[in-house]
Amino acid sequence: MELYELNLSDAIQGLKDKKFSASELFASCKARIDKLEPEIHAFITRTDSTPPAETSGLLAGIPTVLKDNLCTKGLRTTAASKILGEWRPPYDATAWAKLKEAGAVLMGKVNMDEFAMGNTCGNSAFGPTRNPNDLSRVPGGSSGGSAAAVSAGYVPFSLGSDTGGSIRQPASFCGVYGLKPTYGMVSRYGLISYGSSLDQIGPFARTVKDLQLVMSVISGHDPMDSSSFRDKDHDFTHREDVSVKGKRVALVKEFQSFTLDAPIAEAMAKTRKVLEEEGAEIVEVSLPVVARYAVACYYALAMSEAHTNLERYDGVRLGYTVKDAAGIKEMFERVRSYGFGPEVKSRIIAGTCLTEPTRCEEYYVAATKVRTLIAQEFTRAFGECDFILQPASPSMPWKIGENDEDELKGYEADLYTLPVNLAGLPGLSFFAGYAGNLPVGLQLIGPRWSDPALLDTGVILERHLGSPKIANGGK
Amino acid sequence: MPELTFTPVIGIEIHIRLKSDSKLFCSCSTNTDAAPNTNICPVCMGLPGTLPHLNHRVVEQGMLAGFALNCGIRPKSLFFRKSYFYPDLPKGHQISQCDLPITTSGYIEVHDAEGKLKKIRVHHLHLEEDVGSLHHSASDGRLEGADTSYVDYNRSGTPLAEIVSEPDVASAAEAVEYVMTLRRRVIYSGASDVELEKGMMRFDANVSMKCSDGRWGHKVEVKNMNSFKALERAIEYEIKRQKKIMLQGGEVMQETRHWNDAKGVTSASRVKEFYRKFIVEPDLPPLFISQEWIDRVAARMPEMPDVRANRYVNEWGVPQEVADVLTDDKNLADYFEACVKAGANPVRAAHWVRTEVLRVLNERGQKIQDFAMRPEVLAEVVKRVDDGKLSTTQGKEVFDHMAANNSSLDEAISALGITEGGVAGSALNEIIARVISENPDVLEEIRSGKDKKGKKLKFLQGLVMKETKGQAKPQEVAEAVAEAVK
Repeated sequence: MELYELNLSDAIQGLKDKKFSASELFASCKARIDKLEPEIHAFITRTDSTPPAETSGLLAGIPTVLKDNLCTKGLRTTAASKILGEWRPPYDATAWAKLKEAGAVLMGKVNMDEFAMGNTCGNSAFGPTRNPNDLSRVPGGSSGGSAAAVSAGYVPFSLGSDTGGSIRQPASFCGVYGLKPTYGMVSRYGLISYGSSLDQIGPFARTVKDLQLVMSVISGHDPMDSSSFRDKDHDFTHREDVSVKGKRVALVKEFQSFTLDAPIAEAMAKTRKVLEEEGAEIVEVSLPVVARYAVACYYALAMSEAHTNLERYDGVRLGYTVKDAAGIKEMFERVRSYGFGPEVKSRIIAGTCLTEPTRCEEYYVAATKVRTLIAQEFTRAFGECDFILQPASPSMPWKIGENDEDELKGYEADLYTLPVNLAGLPGLSFFAGYAGNLPVGLQLIGPRWSDPALLDTGVILERHLGSPKIANGGK
Repeated sequence: MPELTFTPVIGIEIHIRLKSDSKLFCSCSTNTDAAPNTNICPVCMGLPGTLPHLNHRVVEQGMLAGFALNCGIRPKSLFFRKSYFYPDLPKGHQISQCDLPITTSGYIEVHDAEGKLKKIRVHHLHLEEDVGSLHHSASDGRLEGADTSYVDYNRSGTPLAEIVSEPDVASAAEAVEYVMTLRRRVIYSGASDVELEKGMMRFDANVSMKCSDGRWGHKVEVKNMNSFKALERAIEYEIKRQKKIMLQGGEVMQETRHWNDAKGVTSASRVKEFYRKFIVEPDLPPLFISQEWIDRVAARMPEMPDVRANRYVNEWGVPQEVADVLTDDKNLADYFEACVKAGANPVRAAHWVRTEVLRVLNERGQKIQDFAMRPEVLAEVVKRVDDGKLSTTQGKEVFDHMAANNSSLDEAISALGITEGGVAGSALNEIIARVISENPDVLEEIRSGKDKKGKKLKFLQGLVMKETKGQAKPQEVAEAVAEAVK
C-alpha cells in the first residue's frame, strides 16, 4: 500500500506511530499528483515543489488542497477567473488559517467553476477538471478540483465551498464524502463570496471519520464573520457506538415522481433498506414550496447577491487591469468584459435585472419572502423526522461538454441540493456504492446545527455501504 | 393680475462623520490625515473574501446623534448595499442603512422669517460607511479627463451619519440655522466633533419652488456644499435661478446640479449619476437594539444647548444673548459653569467669559480646551473685583497678565504693583464715580453751591467708605471725593 492511499485518520496515526515520516507522505502524494495531474487537471496552482517544514498539531504533516476561492496569504488566489489575475491575498481565510495552525501542509489551490458558478468544474478560466473515475466525465462542481483531488489520492482531505450543492454534487460524482455544514458553522472570512447568505465552506474526505476530524478543526466562531455561530462549540468527536434506532428518516413526497438515473434510484433503495435494518423508521414529509419554488428562489437570491459581490472587480485595486483606457468608464468596461467568463457575466446581468428598482419588489424581495417560507417548511418537516434522505444529483456524472448546451437541465440538477442552502441546513454527501466504475452518492440532510448527528449517521451508512476506493483515472 | 409669489420648498441631507477611533466595519484607525493608504486593511479595502463586522461603539454614537435630533431609536434596523461604480468605493457598493435606518423621525427648531420658532422635521438618521478620497492630476480637478488619479482609502469605511430632513425649510437663512443648530446639538451629544474645516459635515439640498398660481417646479438636487456659507449661497442661487425660469413660463428640470463655490453658480452634473439599487447586506445580521441599551446610551446624553441657555437666563439671570454665545460651544459653557461652581457670581462670570476669555481666544485663534487659565482661577479674579479688592480695570490687567505670562493670581498682582488689602487708586476712583453717578441730585446741590456746610460732601464720602467696606483710608477718600465733585 502506498502512503498516498491512506485516509486521513490512518495517516495521522501512522505519523504518530512513526511508521513513516511527513516528508515520505508528502513525497508519495506529490508523486501521485505528478502521475495523474496531466490527465485530471485538478490544480490551478501547485505549491508542492519543495518539501514542507516540520509542523505540529492534529493535522501535522498532512497534505491538503484548497478550492481556489479560499484566500491564502502571499499565494495566488484566482476563483478560477481571469479578473483576479495574479492577485496574492495579504491574508489567510480563517478556515485555512485553522488548518495551517493544526499543521496541515498545502499542496496547492484547485480548480472550480469561475466564482463557484457552475456544476461541472468546466466554467474555469484554467480549463476543465476531469473525473478521476472516468476521464471523459465531469467531476461535478463547482468544487470539482477539491473532490477530484481527494478521489484521485492526491491528498486525504480538502476544502471546498457550497452555495447550492458545490460540495455535495462533486463529492457524489467523484465518490468521496463531502459535508456542507450548517450556515454559520465554519467562518466564511476569506472565502471569495458568490452568494453570501448561501455560501459555506466544508470538507471532502474518503471516510466520514475524516470529515469529523476536519470539522473539529475548522468549525467555530470567528469575530471576522458576523454570520458565524456564537454558541458553545459543537462536538465532532468520532464514535463507533452510534445508532439510528428509532430515528425517523424521511423521503420528500414531492420528489418521488421525479426521474432519477437508474444507479441513483437503486442506491436510494439500498440505503433505505440499510437504515430500516438499523432500526430507523422511513417516513414521508411534504415540501411543496421547496419543490415548486426553490430553484427560482435560489437563483433570484444567489444572482442578486452575486452581482453585488462581484462589483468590487473593477481593475482599480487588484487583479487584471488595463493601463491605456481613455477614461474610468472605459477602464471598468474593458476590465470586466475581458475578466469575467460568460457564465459569470450572465449571472451578473441576471442579478442586476432582478434587483433593478422597477423589478426589485417582484423578484428579489419576493424571493427573500419565499426563502422564509422554505425555511419554515423545513422546520415543520423536521418536526416529523430527524433526517431527510435524497440524491445529491438526479444524474450520474455526464460526459464533459454534454450538458453545456442545455443550461436549464444544468439548473434542474441542482434541485436536490440548493434548498438546503436556502434554509441554511447541513447536508452530507455520502458514498453509496459503484455502478460500473462510476461512484454513486446520496445525500442526508438534517436540521440546523445537527452536523455532528448527521456525521454519526454517516458512520453507520459507511459501515454498511462501504468506503470508496481511490480512483485511478478509470483504468 | 396679482403679482406672482414664490415659496421655496427645501429639504436638506447632511453627512456627518461620527466620532470614533476605529472604522465602522473594521478596526482600522479613522485618522484620515495619515499618509495615504496607511490606515487600511483587507476589510476597508473590500478585498475578495473579506466581510464587514459592525463596530458597536459607532452604533452608540449614531444613537447619541439621533437623540440630539429628537429622534427615536428603532429596535431593529438593517444594512443595505447601495451599488454604483467609482474608484473610491472599494466594494462597488456602499454599506448603508438607507432603507431601514437606526432612528425614527425627529426635529430641529429654527426661527422663521417673522422670528417665530418652527420645527424642521428630521425624516431619519442612518449609519453608513464613507468612501475613499480621489486626487486628480487634471487641472479642473475632475475624474473624467484627468491624466492620472490617485485613490487614498484612509477614509474608506469611516463612520458617517446621514441626516435627512423633510422639505420644511423655506429659505437659505432657515437652512443655515437648521444646520448650525443641528451641528451644535450633535457636538453636544458627543456623537461627532463636526469639524467643518476637516470636511466632517457635508450638505446636499433639494430645492423646488411653489408658485402662487399653483405651479410647482421639479425638485433639483444641489450637491457639493462643504460650508454654511456655501449652503446659503447655493440655495439662494438656486432659488433665484428657478424663480427666473418659472417667471419666464419655463419648466424647472428635475436634475442634479453641482455647486461651484469659486464661481458662485450651480451647474448640471456632467457625469450622469450611476443608477443605484439596494439589496440587504447579506454579510451583516439585522441590528437589534434593546430598550436597555437605548436607556444606557440615553443616560450619557448631556443637556442640550438651548436648554442650557434657558437655564442660565431663568435661574441665574444671564442675558439671553450672552447665554447663547456661551452655550454655542459646549466646552465654553462647561468652563463658564466651572467658574460659577467655584463661587463666581453667574452674571459677572458670564460677562467675563463672554468678553475677556473669548477676546483672548480670538486673538490667539485658540480653543477654550487649550486655554491654560483654570476656571477656578478666573472665578477668583471675578470674586476679587466683585468684592472691590480689585477695580474692574485692575482685574482686567491682572487677567491679561496671567493669560499672557501663564502666571498665578498672586504673581500677577505683585508684578503689576497692586497693593492688596486697601482700596485706592483706580479702584477707589471707580467707586467714587459710581457713587456720584448714582446720586446726581446730591452732586447738583454741591455744584450749585447749596452745600455750604459740606454736609452733602460728607454724605458722599460716607457712601464711598461704605462701598469700600472700610478698606480705604478716610483721608484719601475725603480728598478724592472733594476732587471728584469739582
